[in-house]
Amino acid sequence: MQGTPKHLIACHECDLLIERVVNQPDQDVVCPRCHALLYYTTLNSIERLLALSIAGLILFIPANLFPILSLHVFGQSQSEIILQSALSLYEGGLEVVALLILLFAIVVPLIQLIALFYISFTLHYRWEGRLLRQAMHSYQHLRGWGMLEIFLLGVLISIIKLKDIADLEVGLGLYSLAALIIVITLSGIFFNPHQIWHQIDLHRKQSRFYD
Amino acid sequence: MTDSPTAFRSARDSGYLLCSDCEKLHYLSQEGLHCDRCGARLHSRIANSMSISWACLIASILLFLPANLLPIMTFTTFGQGEPSTILGGVLHLLEEDMLMIGLIVLTASIVVPVLKMIALTILLCTVQFGLQTNLRQKTMMFRIVEWIGRWSMLDIFVIGILVALVQLGSIAHIEGNHGATAFAIVVLLTMFSAIAFDTRLIWDNGISDCPPDSTDHKDDQ
Ligand SMILES: [Zn+2]
Ligand SMILES: [Zn+2]
Repeated sequence: MQGTPKHLIACHECDLLIERVVNQPDQDVVCPRCHALLYYTTLNSIERLLALSIAGLILFIPANLFPILSLHVFGQSQSEIILQSALSLYEGGLEVVALLILLFAIVVPLIQLIALFYISFTLHYRWEGRLLRQAMHSYQHLRGWGMLEIFLLGVLISIIKLKDIADLEVGLGLYSLAALIIVITLSGIFFNPHQIWHQIDLHRKQSRFYD
Repeated sequence: MTDSPTAFRSARDSGYLLCSDCEKLHYLSQEGLHCDRCGARLHSRIANSMSISWACLIASILLFLPANLLPIMTFTTFGQGEPSTILGGVLHLLEEDMLMIGLIVLTASIVVPVLKMIALTILLCTVQFGLQTNLRQKTMMFRIVEWIGRWSMLDIFVIGILVALVQLGSIAHIEGNHGATAFAIVVLLTMFSAIAFDTRLIWDNGISDCPPDSTDHKDDQ
C-alpha cells in the first residue's frame, strides 16, 4: 500500500510531478515550473542544530531575565524585561495584544528551541524519540510565528523615540536577545526538513521502539 | 513555447498526492488517511482553502479601518493626555525629523498590510476566475508577501515596549488603546489568510505557459 515510487517527487508549491534527480552537496534542486526550492543538502545538519539549540536555550534565560532597557528621568527609573511589555498591556486592558506579544516573543521561540533540541538530540544520539513527529510538526508549523527580530527592531525604534525625552540605558537582556536572534536565524538556515524527515525514516527503521 | 501536456502534469492528475507536512509522495487513493511517515492527514489540496482565505482577507480589510482610525496609544505628561493613531505616530516622527524610523514604521504599519491585502486579492481572484497569466510571478509575489507580512507586527511591539517602560506615575505614562487590538488582529488575519491559501490552486487551471528548465543529473535511483 505504501510503496509509492521513489524516483518521483512533487513540487509543494505547484504540485508538478517531477523525476527525482541526485543533487550534489552544493546544488539546490528547484522546481522547473514555479522555481520553488524543492530539496538541497545541508552538511552536518543535525550536529549544527544540536549545538545551536543548546546555545539558544542557554541564551533564552538572560534574554528574558535581564532588563533590555532602563529609563531614567527626573530621578525616577524604570527598567523592563520582555515579559513586561505583555504584562503592562494586559493590565491596561489590551488582553489580545498582550497575548500575541507573549506568544510571538516568548512562547513560540521557546517551543521551537525545545523542539529543535529534542529532534537533534534524539537523532544524534539515536535515542528512542517517541515524540519526534510531534516535535517536527510543532517546529514546522510555528515557523514564521516567532518574531524576536521584529521585537528587537521595536526596541531600537523605542530607543530613538525616547532618547530626547529621557536617559536610556541598554541592558544585558538586549545583548542576549541579539545573540539569541542570531542563533535562531542560523538554526532556521540549517533546518532542512526534507533531510530530517528522511533521517527520521531511517531512525525508525533502525529502532524497535516503533511498531 | 513548447507545451506538450506530458511535460507538465500535476501529481494529482497523475494519481499522487504530497504530504503537506513531510512532503512524502502518496497515492491519491490514500486521501483522508494518515501519512505513514509523519502522521499528518493526507490532502491533495488544503481543505476549504479558498473560503477560509477569502473570509480572513475580507475580515482583515474591514478591520483595517478601525485599526487606523482609533488611537493606538496615549502619551500622558503632567496630566495632559495625547492619544495618537498609527498615521499620527508616523507624521509625528516625520515632524521631529526622524525620517528614517518614520519611514520604517510607515512601511511596516501601512504600506506592507495594504500591499499584502492587494496581493492576496489578486491571488484569490486568479484562482476564483481561473486566470492564466503570469503564474510564476504571482507565485513569487505570494512568497514575498508571506515573508514580509509578519513585519507589520512592529508597531504592536513598539507599543508594548513603550507602555512597559514609560510608567512614571504623574510625570509621564503611556497606555495602549484599542486601535492596537484592531491592528494586531488585522495582521493576524492576513497571516491566516496566507496560510490557508494553497499556491497549487494557481497552477491547477490548466497547463501554464512556462517551458521547463533543462535539468541535468537525471537518475532514477
Ligand atoms: Zn513548482
Ligand atoms: Zn507526511
